[in-house]
Amino acid sequence: MNDYSPSNPPPLPTAAATASGGVLEAEPNAAELAPIGGLGGMLEALLRRPRGVLHHLSGSEAARLIGLLLLIAAVGAALYGVVVGTFSGGIQLWAAPVKITAGLFFCGAICLPSLYVFACLTGSVARINDVVGMVAGLLALMTLLLFSFAPVAWVFSQSTQSVAAMGSMHLLFWLIATFFGARFLYRGMARLGARSKGAFYFWMIIFVLVALQMTTALRPLVGKADTFLPKEKMFFLQHWGEAFSADKPTTPKTD
Amino acid sequence: MPSPAESAASPRPAPTRFALPALLRGDVAVLQGWLLQRSTPRLIGCLLAIVLGAGIYGASIGCWRSPMQGVYTAAKLPLILLLTALGNALLNGLLAPLLGLNLTLRQTSLAILLSFTLLALILATFSPLVFFAVWNLPPMVAGTARGTAYALIQASQVGVIAFAGLTANVRLLQLLRQLSGSQAVAFRVLCAWLAGNLLLGTQLTWILRPFFGSPSLAVEFLRPDALRGNFFEALAYSLRVLFTY
Repeated sequence: MNDYSPSNPPPLPTAAATASGGVLEAEPNAAELAPIGGLGGMLEALLRRPRGVLHHLSGSEAARLIGLLLLIAAVGAALYGVVVGTFSGGIQLWAAPVKITAGLFFCGAICLPSLYVFACLTGSVARINDVVGMVAGLLALMTLLLFSFAPVAWVFSQSTQSVAAMGSMHLLFWLIATFFGARFLYRGMARLGARSKGAFYFWMIIFVLVALQMTTALRPLVGKADTFLPKEKMFFLQHWGEAFSADKPTTPKTD
Repeated sequence: MPSPAESAASPRPAPTRFALPALLRGDVAVLQGWLLQRSTPRLIGCLLAIVLGAGIYGASIGCWRSPMQGVYTAAKLPLILLLTALGNALLNGLLAPLLGLNLTLRQTSLAILLSFTLLALILATFSPLVFFAVWNLPPMVAGTARGTAYALIQASQVGVIAFAGLTANVRLLQLLRQLSGSQAVAFRVLCAWLAGNLLLGTQLTWILRPFFGSPSLAVEFLRPDALRGNFFEALAYSLRVLFTY
């Protein structure tokens, strides 16, 4: 039974333990708060103790940790981009990694201010540094997962001529990676006291739409083209529709 | 930081050697010990069991077409299992902690290898039966592909492989439940691993075709168009044909 009185009120919820949508984000335990070393330490921490990463992102080492997260995101995106480029070969071997890495960072950068505003509107005590850290974590976790999909993507890219099929497969992998990245971001928002899930979901929709449009703005990522960037502006749904229409069905042999 | 697997109740001392009965029984305490302790002989035992078990089964089904096809299929079945485990090692290793099971990359790879080992052992035990069935069938000649014999062999393969796969995955689920202490986490991890392994495994199977062979085509390790198309395109094409006409 609680022993509260007007002179002894219950403690106010701290930012770190505030409910988000009715779900409390528990404080990290001592093991999770262990210092994060170099790149290997960050990779391990991102997967096994994300609450610890979020905690350290609000501390004095934030700049170094954000740098590590962005490095992971850049390397992961570039490596996955090389695998995407192997489908068409030629200049796509360098163009695809450049476009995917730049597109991902650009997407994160233009969505970041809106995340900060949404976080504040939902009652979060997040500072801009916290938001930068969370977005860096989102991108790092996404690209880490994308990289782990690379062997599967490579096997398929060597076995099909269909741009639509490969594009769909990359999209599926990207969506799975985004789901896990979003979970990290959600934990961060909850930890910083966001009281509404709605704002988080709304921002995620914005982020996904921007990223999908980026695939069209930077096309081709999978197929071939005469120019590095497209000459014509297009909405991503229209571009995908055209890509699927142009894709000739194959009649594979079986035995 | 100790993983939940390590901090769980300490299992019975695991045999240092590769103990076949423990694996077949799905003795989770022993298997948990295997995951936590490094042992090269045990790893070699798993690899050997996969190569021999799946190899013998492959030889049994491939020899219907010709002895050489039997040799090829004996090499290809273990290759599919090992390449699937290798190709998805990183993915499976990342998915486990993200879904709540704090295992290392080595432990996740070994857990999957153990389930593949069990699968290969079950397949090996069915090999004499399959070989007997094949031996009693008329030889594969042109037109067999539409005959009763071919349908019988196909159906029996589906049955045997489904049984072996199901048993191996049930055992893996039991092991994951023991490691995580949660049915929900174990089920999530298993589903994620299955989805990834299915995706890569079906494509590797497609690339490494043929397994039975065809009487109208030459006996060869890989078809000249091995890298043309994929399983899902073939499936989509078949569905399109089915619903168009």
